[in-house]
Amino acid sequence: MRLAALLMTVLLPGAAADDFVRLPGQAAFTSILKYTDSDGKVPIAPFELMTTPVTNAQFLAFVVTHPEWRRGTAPSVFAEARYLSHWGGPLSLGAAAEAAQPVTHVSWFAARAYCEANNARLPTWSEWEYAAAADATRADARKDPAWRDRILGWYAKPANVPLARVGQGSPDLHGVHDLHGLVWEWVDDYAAMLVSADNRNQADPDVLTFCGAGALATDDRENYAVLMRIAMLSALEAHNTTGSLGFRCARGARGDVQ
Amino acid sequence: MKRRTLFLTFAALASACTGTLSAADLRAIPGDSVYRFDATLSDQSGTEFHLGERRGRPLLVAMFYTSCRYVCPLIIDSVKGVEHALSETERAHLGFLLISLDPARDDTAALKSVFDKRKLDAARWTLARTSESNVRTLAALLGVRYRALADGEFNHTSALVLLDGEGRRIDSSEALGATPDPKFLASVRNALEISTK
Amino acid sequence: MNTIFPVFTLLLCGMVALAGCSRGTSAEPPTPGNASAVAGAAPDTGGSRKGDFGPPQGEPIKAVLTSPPNVPPPTGRSAPAKVIVELEVIEKELPIAEGTTYTFWTFGGTVPGSFIRVRQGDTVEFHLNNHPDSKMPHNIDLHGVTGPGGGAASSFTAPGHSSQFTFKALNQGLFVYHCATAPVGMHVANGMYGLILVEPPQGLPPVDKEFYVMQGDFYTVGKFREKGFQAFDMQKAIDENATYVLFNGSETALTGDNALKASVGQNVRLFVGNGGPNLVSSFHVIGEIFDKVWYEGGTRYQENVQTTLVPAGGAMIADFHLEVPGSYVLVDHSIFRAFNKGALGILKIDGPENLSIYSGKEVDSVYLGDKAASLASVSTAATSNAAGTLSLEEQVAAGKSLYSGTCSVCHQDNGAGLPGVFPPLAKSDYLATQPKEQIVRVVLNGLSGAVKVNGQDYNSVMPPMSQLRDDEIANILSFVQTSWGNSGERVRKEDVTAVRASTPRAEGAAH
Repeated sequence: MRLAALLMTVLLPGAAADDFVRLPGQAAFTSILKYTDSDGKVPIAPFELMTTPVTNAQFLAFVVTHPEWRRGTAPSVFAEARYLSHWGGPLSLGAAAEAAQPVTHVSWFAARAYCEANNARLPTWSEWEYAAAADATRADARKDPAWRDRILGWYAKPANVPLARVGQGSPDLHGVHDLHGLVWEWVDDYAAMLVSADNRNQADPDVLTFCGAGALATDDRENYAVLMRIAMLSALEAHNTTGSLGFRCARGARGDVQ
Repeated sequence: MKRRTLFLTFAALASACTGTLSAADLRAIPGDSVYRFDATLSDQSGTEFHLGERRGRPLLVAMFYTSCRYVCPLIIDSVKGVEHALSETERAHLGFLLISLDPARDDTAALKSVFDKRKLDAARWTLARTSESNVRTLAALLGVRYRALADGEFNHTSALVLLDGEGRRIDSSEALGATPDPKFLASVRNALEISTK
Repeated sequence: MNTIFPVFTLLLCGMVALAGCSRGTSAEPPTPGNASAVAGAAPDTGGSRKGDFGPPQGEPIKAVLTSPPNVPPPTGRSAPAKVIVELEVIEKELPIAEGTTYTFWTFGGTVPGSFIRVRQGDTVEFHLNNHPDSKMPHNIDLHGVTGPGGGAASSFTAPGHSSQFTFKALNQGLFVYHCATAPVGMHVANGMYGLILVEPPQGLPPVDKEFYVMQGDFYTVGKFREKGFQAFDMQKAIDENATYVLFNGSETALTGDNALKASVGQNVRLFVGNGGPNLVSSFHVIGEIFDKVWYEGGTRYQENVQTTLVPAGGAMIADFHLEVPGSYVLVDHSIFRAFNKGALGILKIDGPENLSIYSGKEVDSVYLGDKAASLASVSTAATSNAAGTLSLEEQVAAGKSLYSGTCSVCHQDNGAGLPGVFPPLAKSDYLATQPKEQIVRVVLNGLSGAVKVNGQDYNSVMPPMSQLRDDEIANILSFVQTSWGNSGERVRKEDVTAVRASTPRAEGAAH
């Protein structure tokens, strides 16, 4: 088993050890979500983030050493029927899944297990939002229409075309690739997206729905790129998988598991 | 029954050692059962138990926290509403498990305090706490969504989740208050009928 | 005694007079808008209060859904039923114009989405299925639903999943449905809308043909008819600056082979919706008058209507009887949308002429020529241009199609123009003597003032045709120059681009 994993690391191009970069964080990051409890500002401690989403090859190496997470073995309560359905078999990628493509058809439980097995964790929504605000030259490019347009362009393309390999485009200011334009990504607190299922009910005054708060309102209605990501996460349950949904891992700045 | 107890004891021992059930034990639990996640929790008297020990009879699960001002008192009322609507025999076969979203501040004493104040019956009720990571996972398994606020409060959805004897989610209700949702009550009765056959 | 009697009589008269007054105001005065009041029908249908006819009866029925422009048959029911609707969301790339594609998000694979037909009082069990290949979550808001979000709150569905909710159709009418996932405008602009008809209990009056037409405005990064794949432009949508205004999601949805068909003597009904997201429609059928319009899709109808407003997120039903054969053009009468943004469809009527009603020629020879049928040559030219292999023959073929319907309206199909009014293009000395740049400039900027062509004076106004693309102008001019004894000079796209670039433009002018 160990040998197989080792071989996998050597032979498959995308299976190299996860690459992390350090992000400095921000004391009071302005989220798109109008958090009433903190005036919309979130403290982001410095943390590390994988430079690309987890690839098919990396995930394959994981299921080799963690048989309980193989397709067909993982219980439906942790991963629904379409878990890793794009692979040729439980232990082989097959023709339709390239080693260096981001892994998709993974559930939140599976993503979390992968990160834990690699002494890491999933990023929080705020960490993701903070990291995703950057472009090649600025830490926060969200006010730039060009930043928005590039992201919107991805939404316009249907999901039945093969995914690009990770790391193709140029990295952002922090050295991170593919936070936009490749796949949706799980975050640890996807379930904190307490938005109304009918997204038109901004700041729903029904405070019983979410115990003491109405649905979260969004501050910047023009930041549809991020809005759509929130809409996506709020539609998901932890055992769900989709063909456009992958993940990457994060760590505390010193490599702690949090 | 004895065999099952033996099996579960073995499983409990095994998990005490390794932290997880063995592969064989896990396979015995259905794939769509919440008990596939064998978390360790501790109850209002500080006694540790495994989630899997609840397997065997239907269970009503909800998540709350003791300092919650808005809805959480209503959650207990809602569960009590179901309790009182059942007959004595029905009640004997149903368990109630409330898990805290806020293990950092809900220590055993806080749980005990609520337990006593609401005069809950230890034969059926458990107020429990576990690690923060387990809370995230359990909430995900139960379909409860929550967000920690800056001041330590939580915003969360308030579902009562009904698990059958095998740990499968068969129904849930967001209706709050002492009068239970009739459809949900019917589901509870149905689950009890099946499990007592 | 003597004083009491007159007072009493006065009082009595007063009371009688008052009673007469109140009786007068309780009846509705007959006005043109209240046809049903004139006909003696009930003052109102009672709305949702009277729309619950009790629990569903009989076996559940699987709803028949149709793709536009078809409509499901009348339900023919006389009692409320349980109707099961299965509607699938599919994101797919489809043509929006010849040679141009767009990623539409669809209900049922079409824009507009499938037509749903139920009866007032029906209980509808609605299943929304989001195809696994979808990238986005979606939901649905049906305007015929009484309930939060019109169903949107209960139907939020991730890709590869399905949601179910049930509602009772309490109000009769023709209602829009659309996706309401954030950002709502984008989902609607991508084609996520359709119609649900809740029949009145007695059904609609029977007709021979029913058609489903839905207008929508579309916003692309590229210009109108810019070839290739086009992406959605959010800023244009916010500015309400539509690139396309179309019936049924495509410039060719209701033209050419896709034209609607009916026959003389038939009663035709159009179910017309407007998905928006922004623009209101001034719906008109050229050459016909709507005998009845159930305006806003409601219960009352107006009669003898030429053009009716269809609000964004609204609908209407129009009935009319056909007397004369020909091609009738469906348009949004905000007319630049019809001729410059594509809001145009054809209803082709066959049958015997009726010269006593209309003696003239068919409409389409003036308005359109074979525009829809021969746009294939435009596509070919575009492909060749992209590949760098564009030949003069391809340009001339494309230019001929583009010429008819745009230039031929004034200069005629044979280039003869109209003596004294519009200069000829056939064997024109103006075209022979003017340099190429000037000819291009005339097409781009228009021409006004005195000009002498082939010995005759003209002093008219040619409007600028700057909305035409560079390649389209090049093709048209190549066609003109190689026709009717002209110079035979080829005009290329680069020639037009150079002239356009060197022309100073006023702020906000088309370019």
